[in-house]
Amino acid sequence: MIRTILLVDDSPISRRMMKSCIPKDRGYEIHEAGDGLAGFEAYKANQPDVTFMDLTMPVMDGSESTAKIREFDPNAVVIVCTADIQIKSITNVLDLGALMVMKKPPSKEAVEDALSKAAELIG
Amino acid sequence: MDYCNDIISSEEKDILQEIMNIAFGQAAADLADVINIFVVLSVPYIEMLNAQDLPEYLKSQVCSYDRISIVEQNFWGDFKGSAFLVFQANAGRELVSLFGEDPGGGGSDSIDALEKETLMEVGNILIGACVGKLSELLGDLVTYSPPRVVIENTPNDAIPANVFESNSSAIVLKTVFNFNERDVNGFLFLVTSHDSILWLKKSLADFMEQYE
Repeated sequence: MIRTILLVDDSPISRRMMKSCIPKDRGYEIHEAGDGLAGFEAYKANQPDVTFMDLTMPVMDGSESTAKIREFDPNAVVIVCTADIQIKSITNVLDLGALMVMKKPPSKEAVEDALSKAAELIG
Repeated sequence: MDYCNDIISSEEKDILQEIMNIAFGQAAADLADVINIFVVLSVPYIEMLNAQDLPEYLKSQVCSYDRISIVEQNFWGDFKGSAFLVFQANAGRELVSLFGEDPGGGGSDSIDALEKETLMEVGNILIGACVGKLSELLGDLVTYSPPRVVIENTPNDAIPANVFESNSSAIVLKTVFNFNERDVNGFLFLVTSHDSILWLKKSLADFMEQYE
């Protein structure tokens, strides 16, 4: 069951867009971080059930952050939401253990679908 | 005076930055589909300037390059302006081989022609996909002029001041990219005129409405 969600994106607008696509009636606790390093720290502090991760970010990019999170917690569920939709970028983060890759801009349907897949995995 | 905040708010700037990020991501993926290349993307940067200051600004942005090649393309719709794709001068030769051509073959005239053709093709894909996606997200449809390529100019002579209307404003959307397998870096600048700004402000608000 999903209770907590972490949003990692350097763009406050992008985090706002993601938040508005997350169903509000399920009472999720949402945490936010503005770069990959802050995302990793927020992951360690909050142990969210699902992390939505951007890729192109300052300080630490989303690929490195995903790798660090998965190294810290091999069961971490990371869903990448990115504008970088090159096949090589997608393959790279899937190899690092991301559950799936969503193309920006997010839609309610895509977020709902991603959360369903995450819930199936978490059980 | 904060020229930018006088014309678009910081929130509008953030929205535009995110849309530019999505648009250039699409452009990179389109280019990667056509040629075997991986584009390393960076966080885009938005700046608002007086159009008369643009040539000086563009020069300052590419001053680390001795000589540059530029692909320039104009676009028209509710969103209208000019796109400038700026590479360091050796980029054309580096990119030629990615299209399966031999940059060493033929005389200097044919190398120049090949480089020009390659830069035009890369420019067409990157500018077309980026401006096209940006316009699509903002509910517009644009048409393009044929791309114009200037090879190996100095930054000082690259963009003449008279291409921009005086007493108008311009939003400069800048993204820096790097083609990973090749030693090629570049900038993409989109310069839009004062006429587009009111439309842009409304379109940005409309775009965000779906996320309220």
